[in-house]
Amino acid sequence: MADVHQDSGGAGTDIDLSQFYQIFFEEAGENLDQMEQMLLNLNLETADDEELNGIFRCAHSIKGGAATFGFSDVAELTHKMESLLDKLRRHELKPTSVMVDVLLESADAARALLACHQSGTVGQGPATADLVQRIQAIVAGDAAAAAPPPAPVASPVVAVAPVALTPSAAPASAEASGVRHLILRLSKLDHAAQADAVAELFRDIPGLGDIKPVLAPDIAANERVYDVQTSSSNEDLLDLFAFHVAREQVSIQEAEPVATLPPEPPSAESVKVETSVSHPTPAAEGYGFFDGAPGAPKPGDSAAKVAVAAPAAEAPKAMHSVKAPSAGALQPEAATIRVAISKVDQLINLVGELVITQAMLAQNSRSLDPTVYQQLLTGLSDLDRNTRDLQESVMSIRMIPMSIVFSRFPRMLRDLAGKLGKKVDFVTQGEATELDKGLVEKITDPLTHLVRNSCDHGIEMPQDRVRAGKPETGTITLSAAHQGGSIVIEVRDDGKGMSRSKILAKARERGMEVSDSMPDAEVWQLIFAPGFSTAEVVTDVSGRGVGMDVVKRNITALNGTVEIESAEGYGMRVSVRLPLTLAIMDGMSVGVGNEVYILPLSSVVESFQVRSEAVSTLGQDSRVVKVRDEYMPVIELEKVFQVPRFNTDKTSDMMVVIEADGSRVVLLVDELLGQQQVVVKNLESNYRKVPNVSGATILGDGKVALILDTAALVRRSRH
Amino acid sequence: MAVILTVDDSPSMRKMVSFTLIAAGYQVVEAVDGVDAFEKAQGQAFDLVLTDQNMPRMDGLGLTRKLREHPDFKSTPILMLTTESSDLMKQAGRAAGATGWLVKPFDPVRLIEVIKKVIK
Repeated sequence: MADVHQDSGGAGTDIDLSQFYQIFFEEAGENLDQMEQMLLNLNLETADDEELNGIFRCAHSIKGGAATFGFSDVAELTHKMESLLDKLRRHELKPTSVMVDVLLESADAARALLACHQSGTVGQGPATADLVQRIQAIVAGDAAAAAPPPAPVASPVVAVAPVALTPSAAPASAEASGVRHLILRLSKLDHAAQADAVAELFRDIPGLGDIKPVLAPDIAANERVYDVQTSSSNEDLLDLFAFHVAREQVSIQEAEPVATLPPEPPSAESVKVETSVSHPTPAAEGYGFFDGAPGAPKPGDSAAKVAVAAPAAEAPKAMHSVKAPSAGALQPEAATIRVAISKVDQLINLVGELVITQAMLAQNSRSLDPTVYQQLLTGLSDLDRNTRDLQESVMSIRMIPMSIVFSRFPRMLRDLAGKLGKKVDFVTQGEATELDKGLVEKITDPLTHLVRNSCDHGIEMPQDRVRAGKPETGTITLSAAHQGGSIVIEVRDDGKGMSRSKILAKARERGMEVSDSMPDAEVWQLIFAPGFSTAEVVTDVSGRGVGMDVVKRNITALNGTVEIESAEGYGMRVSVRLPLTLAIMDGMSVGVGNEVYILPLSSVVESFQVRSEAVSTLGQDSRVVKVRDEYMPVIELEKVFQVPRFNTDKTSDMMVVIEADGSRVVLLVDELLGQQQVVVKNLESNYRKVPNVSGATILGDGKVALILDTAALVRRSRH
Repeated sequence: MAVILTVDDSPSMRKMVSFTLIAAGYQVVEAVDGVDAFEKAQGQAFDLVLTDQNMPRMDGLGLTRKLREHPDFKSTPILMLTTESSDLMKQAGRAAGATGWLVKPFDPVRLIEVIKKVIK
């Protein structure tokens, strides 16, 4: 990024700005997210000032930062967005969906440009010339009537460079743009001082114009009327007055056509005031002082000294602000800190070790005589409690609300529904539900897929919905809730649902074993079968086809499950159940020889003692066991892991039924050791991928136990 | 050592301004918006206030007006650091009681130069 300083100003600098890039990128990302959210929530008919101001502020902040840090392409684009948003918040333009579209697209482009800057691949970002032009067209097309033409912008440097206020510039432009003669009426005033303060604005601000009180018998006591001559637009005036009186208290009327007014020569005094506004030289340099203002450096030349002193020192007294502090739209920075995820993970790891050490101590202390070691044992039980609390608190650091995932869908659905010509409402529930960050990242894609499917294939075209007696606009609901130690995420739609008969027909066509008497739940599960997903399915059957097997696989890999309910004609629901975190798992420990293995408790169905008559051999090394009229393949863990056995008389005689990918198998083990929460350690990153093993953990006694990959074991049984 | 109150809702801007000021040997107190700044100004005097204009809750103009009402800030230099470079905005800043303005984006060296003009 050698080019980053190109725009940061003429004078050389000793300060390396690049150290602030990262903060800026994160902040700009947040601003873009927020802007997108607000744009999507914007009600075009009833957009209020607070919303529009909030969106404007987002664009404004990004522009400021981008210009400062020298990302001129981002600055230029966001500057355009800002000027459009400025018109909107000033009510010079009415928001339309075309504007929202172009702003959303621009936000995307800005995001992409920022990503390029971040990765150092400048020049590969999207072209923004078209967007810039479109925004410009919107701004110009409707703004023709607005008095101050938008400042022409050739480059971001120019865009934000100050317009130097030379003594001659203001009056000249006032003449050129025409002085308007207005009747200003301030009504329902609380104090006369408010009106005085407004009148003072015209004295304080050179070039604003002249104001004369109008005295007429029909003016109420809490009312003031002024005769105003100004070149500023009504909106600019209202903005200025807003510091003193509420907008609804102000009424501005055109007094008479401008053309009939004799040209007003600028008075000698007003010229003097203007000279004092800023020293021309520093203004060109990008700063200026108000002469006579508190703390301003003493001007050297005597000409400026005759200038009317700025009333700053006494003015604030009279100008007590009536503008309500704008709470809302943009929250002040929340009390949070940013921490690298690696630091959090290290913390979690250390707490994991601590938990293990604590478990070890607890185990070793069991043999101690409570009468002799009472104090030690009390201390150990305190340690137990504190360790668990600590673990819980540390784990919660990684927990982030589902709203992070949910927030990306309104935009996606809006685009998709627009493309498909459908009408869709998107409802979210339980956005505050928290989930481990690692899981959130991994669940986003499957959820995206499900939501897309609902919109693409579930919701019908508006006319079809009307014909079916449904509201024209479909609804897709995304909800999240905690249930026990899991989180359940549901995608519901009120579309056409799935057709049982079509799925069965399709399954037969593909040579799958199905029967008409299959329960619904099993029929719906068919769509998760690999290969069931074809483009044909998408159009023929109600089309949940594409990639559902991938969705299922991804969720299963997270130790989660997927269930489907559907009613033809009424819609469907996909429920995804996930563990709250990947770092801690409820496990069942089983013993084989001297080894201990952990099974994820979520996949354990039942366990029982082997009765030899239930096991039948189907040929070499292939055995099945009959459990309540169902035959299940038997897998001997001893053979899978080639566990050395020193006591040759001992054989595995406990059976554990596990379920994964919708099939069940029986594992043969020596003994069941119990249930416990285990801290999952990744084996791949520390060692390498081991077949049939998903991870490892350290047991209370310090031994390492492997966590079994039940899905892999089930797959193994199929061969 | 002079103490400067810097007010900006953008963390990157705030960090950069602070860094620049600290590197130049000033002490810095940061505030995230006008409301925060005004609270921080209670009970602590500053040699200079450097404020952004466009901020949530209370903008730079609002802060300037509030500070000028405060006896400790009658004559404290208040610089508006702003991208709003329009004349009207400058005039509004003047009316609010600001000492001067500095346009964003600014050069760090320029910032220090300007500050040296108002802090003796």
